[in-house]
Amino acid sequence: MEYAIDVGKVLFWFSSIMGLASILTWMERKQSAVMQDRIGANRADIFGFRILGLFHIIADSIKMFTKQDFVPAQGNRILHTVAPMIALFFALVGFAAVPFGGTYEIAGYTVSLQVLDLNVGLLFVFAMMSMGIYGFVLGGWASANNYALLGGLRASGQMISYEITMGATVIGTIMVYGTLSLQQMNIAQGELLFGWIPAWGILLQPLGCILFVTAALAETKRVPFDVPEGESEIIGYFVEYSGMRFGMFFLTDFIETVLAAVLTTTLFFGGWQVPYLYAGGFEFPWGGSFELPVVAVMLLQVGAFMAKVFTLCFIFLLIRWTLPRFRWDQLMRLGWTIMLPLSILNIVVTGVVLLIVGN
Amino acid sequence: MAIKVEEKQLTLLERLYVLEVVRGIALTTGHFFRNMAVHIARLFGLAKDKKGSTTFQYPEERRPLAPRLRTLHRLTRREDGAPRCVACMMCETVCPAHCISIVAGEHPNPLIEKYPTRFDIDLGLCVFCGYCVEACPEDAIRMDTGVLEFTSFSREGMVYDLNKLLARSETPKPNEESKVKTA
Amino acid sequence: MPTLTIDGQEVTVDAGTTVIQAAEQIGINIPRYCYHPGLSLAGRCRMCLVEIETFPNLQIACYTRAQDEMVVSTTSERVLSARQSMLEFLLSNHPLDCPVCDQSGECDLQNFYMDHGQYQSRFLENKVKKKKAFPIGPHVILDQERCILCTRCVRFTEEVSKSNELGVFNRGSRSVIDLYPTKSLDNPYSGNVIDICPVGALTEREFRFKCRVWYLASQESICTGCSRGCNISLDYNGSRRAYKAGGRRVMRIKPRYNPDINKWWICDEGRFGYGFIDTDRIETPMQRTTSDLEPSDWDPALARVAETVKAAYSEKGANGVGVIVSPQLSNEELLACRELFVEKMKLTNVAALNPWEEPGEADDFLRNADRNPNTKGVEDLGYSGDAKAVLEKAAEGEIEVLIIFRHNLADGEAGKLLEKAKFVVYVGTNWNATAERAHVVLPGATHAEKDGTFTNFEGRVQRFKQALLPIGDSRNDSQIISEMAAKLGYSLPASADEIFEAWKGISLDELSGSGSSVDPDTAVQA
Ligand code: SF4
Ligand code: SF4
Ligand code: SF4
Repeated sequence: MEYAIDVGKVLFWFSSIMGLASILTWMERKQSAVMQDRIGANRADIFGFRILGLFHIIADSIKMFTKQDFVPAQGNRILHTVAPMIALFFALVGFAAVPFGGTYEIAGYTVSLQVLDLNVGLLFVFAMMSMGIYGFVLGGWASANNYALLGGLRASGQMISYEITMGATVIGTIMVYGTLSLQQMNIAQGELLFGWIPAWGILLQPLGCILFVTAALAETKRVPFDVPEGESEIIGYFVEYSGMRFGMFFLTDFIETVLAAVLTTTLFFGGWQVPYLYAGGFEFPWGGSFELPVVAVMLLQVGAFMAKVFTLCFIFLLIRWTLPRFRWDQLMRLGWTIMLPLSILNIVVTGVVLLIVGN
Repeated sequence: MAIKVEEKQLTLLERLYVLEVVRGIALTTGHFFRNMAVHIARLFGLAKDKKGSTTFQYPEERRPLAPRLRTLHRLTRREDGAPRCVACMMCETVCPAHCISIVAGEHPNPLIEKYPTRFDIDLGLCVFCGYCVEACPEDAIRMDTGVLEFTSFSREGMVYDLNKLLARSETPKPNEESKVKTA
Repeated sequence: MPTLTIDGQEVTVDAGTTVIQAAEQIGINIPRYCYHPGLSLAGRCRMCLVEIETFPNLQIACYTRAQDEMVVSTTSERVLSARQSMLEFLLSNHPLDCPVCDQSGECDLQNFYMDHGQYQSRFLENKVKKKKAFPIGPHVILDQERCILCTRCVRFTEEVSKSNELGVFNRGSRSVIDLYPTKSLDNPYSGNVIDICPVGALTEREFRFKCRVWYLASQESICTGCSRGCNISLDYNGSRRAYKAGGRRVMRIKPRYNPDINKWWICDEGRFGYGFIDTDRIETPMQRTTSDLEPSDWDPALARVAETVKAAYSEKGANGVGVIVSPQLSNEELLACRELFVEKMKLTNVAALNPWEEPGEADDFLRNADRNPNTKGVEDLGYSGDAKAVLEKAAEGEIEVLIIFRHNLADGEAGKLLEKAKFVVYVGTNWNATAERAHVVLPGATHAEKDGTFTNFEGRVQRFKQALLPIGDSRNDSQIISEMAAKLGYSLPASADEIFEAWKGISLDELSGSGSSVDPDTAVQA
């Protein structure tokens, strides 16, 4: 039974991520279209049914599986094949340490809705995110194409620059909650400030939140931070990719978006927490309570988590389709001369505030 | 003399970027929700007069063509239905793509004298410059059919001969908006 | 020798020269319609009016003799306005049907109107209608509305062809050019009226609607119709893609001015006799394998000729091979044949002339009875004897291999002899009965497709230039001979230029810029 629970958790979590990522591929087109007064993908149909172009997800995957799988003659065949797998693998593995629900006692079993409960979960996620870069650089290099190599190098340069900011930003959060375990952080965010404000990261670390979201967007390499791809100039590390290998890179992109949303939710938006909802049900600070069975609580909390992630994804897409791409030098300047000092400032201010409050 | 372009100086607030980002996102989000509302309303049969997008759903819906648009050629006719063209080859001469070939013949009426026994336009070569229309002294060739689709699976299929070019001149304007004033 | 000033330039001319000629000598071209140097003066068109100091009125430059101390202006205000008015007058009844007019593009009305036009019409009345587009002879079409009544054509028929078919009828704006009753413009020089008509009133029936003149390119050539050697321009499809002209390349022939031979004129036979360049051509080498002639390649065809010639040569020596060259060949090709067959192989049976050939019509103007362009060249280069003797030997079986250039020897008496020849090689441009009965056929190039010289009956060596590439697989004859020689183990130059230089000591280009005549003796000294 323990195993069954574990397998169930993994399957649920994995399929939610993949499902969300593939819906994002459709959403990206549809949402951008509506934002820009267009209609967007709507032609793929099955027996005349189009359901807002949702079938394009299926059409796309059929296309990617059946397209010619091209390897450049001068390229390195093995690395060229492995690269997208590396990228995809590390993007997915990161999710293991992220809790998508609390710990529940159901029918005598303790169910912790987290695949891998690490007390250094945050570090694990960061480590996996940094590993993903190998996929992009290798892909760029193995293509034996100058533009691809340039894209790969840009990707690594960008990742390194923004990872520092990202790391420095979460230090403030770690200081506030005093833990590296993501589950502990979520639990800590269930507390109330002044007796009625949920202690979500965004309220405790507003600057940290903005910086983190920015850095996370940069990590996903999407507009406005898409210099490694830059479709209109260098096309990027996947210029020599086609078929499903390209599909993996493509999917990685969206999975990273989901990861960014998941992390942001976990760190700054209370993770699976619903305000005033505790293990036994709602207990409002102004008195009054509402009893709920454990399963309902679990469903509510998981649902809340998913809703938060989805909303963040939506906002990320909004940003992606609103802002123009940065130039490479602007990108670097933003990373090193603005974001990094700001994140250090954030640490200092957090420290000072913590000292004052602690006393 | 080169034109000097005044560069607009950004204000401090604009340079901080964050506020501008928020404003930009507000704008696009506004569009998103307005359009989405229209789409949903139309789904339920409401707000028929509003459109959630500026898109023309191409094969079903067609964009009104500008009256000056250069489209598929046609050869005009005389009152008796014969082609107006007198095979002067002005169009063949002026055509920068060398896609017109005309073979002239002797017309039984000495007042007309010359007429085309063959008149081929290779639309696969044509660049739609409209020079042929400009050059024609007889108003015999026009590009006002409003027809934009004339693809073919072969190169030969792209060659329009006298009959095909004349066939359009009975019904020159299938699209009301693209109506061209005829003198 | 009067000395006069035209537009500030001084010029001394022979007595009796007219102002229009004097101006031409210093490169000033005064617009004119009726004046033609080869015809009498008419003074009808008033287009060449010039202002001469001390004369109160403008004078026509074509009629006024140059005199000492004359001061002429061809560009003064009065002259220019007179030209404008004259054009307005000439065009008042003109139908303006340039789109359907074959002259369009080389029409003097168009040309002068571009410089002196009024552009804004003031003509409100109805134009006088006349007869349009009717043939007046086998080659010429007349459009009376386009005519400006310069009478060049009338004067030509009176003075040059002396056949008097055309005249001016009626009066005033109703005057027209027409045929005299019962006549038809069918004299042997009728085509020239097309050239001299400055407008589109007289046009060619053969060329009618075939091609607009601006598509034509032109090359200097020599007429091959008779031994006069008239200078011509070959007008061929230049910028227009060939398929648009039905695959025809040479579109028309125009005379080229040569004061010593043909002046401005050529005969109709020469003018319209260009059809053979594009029709019925032999395009690939042919070999008779079993009974039929089958297309082949140059290499096997030439190899077969060489083998047969060698076999005959070793069997019967210099008597075994017979050659009949042709006065249709250029001097350079005749030289190459002489070098190979006479000097190298020492053949005894070499002939050139066809005794059965029917003479053409002759007159005292241009046309000669000898219809070959290079009979004189054949004689000058030492060919003697005629085809009859050679054919007879071939019929008797004394000659094993008979090589025939150009001649058609398959009719009548010659045909009976040819029947019996064992092995016939035909080198020619067009299909004829001789080619069809030959064992090997080698396609040669026409004069439009090669460089070379002809010697006319007076002994003038004249150059013709290549306008087109040889059709299909055909080749220049001197190249064919050179390759045949190589297969037989001799080496001969292939290019006409080289052969000519070895012959005369000057290059073809030095012979003439324009192919004008050079006395062969002077050429050698040059
Ligand atoms: S539109 Fe231009 S390119 Fe096309 S046929 Fe006319 S002149 Fe030629
Ligand atoms: S320009 Fe006009 S009249 Fe002349 S050939 Fe072309 S279509 Fe015919
Ligand atoms: S037909 Fe030509 S040459 Fe003869 S009078 Fe008229 S314009 Fe002159």
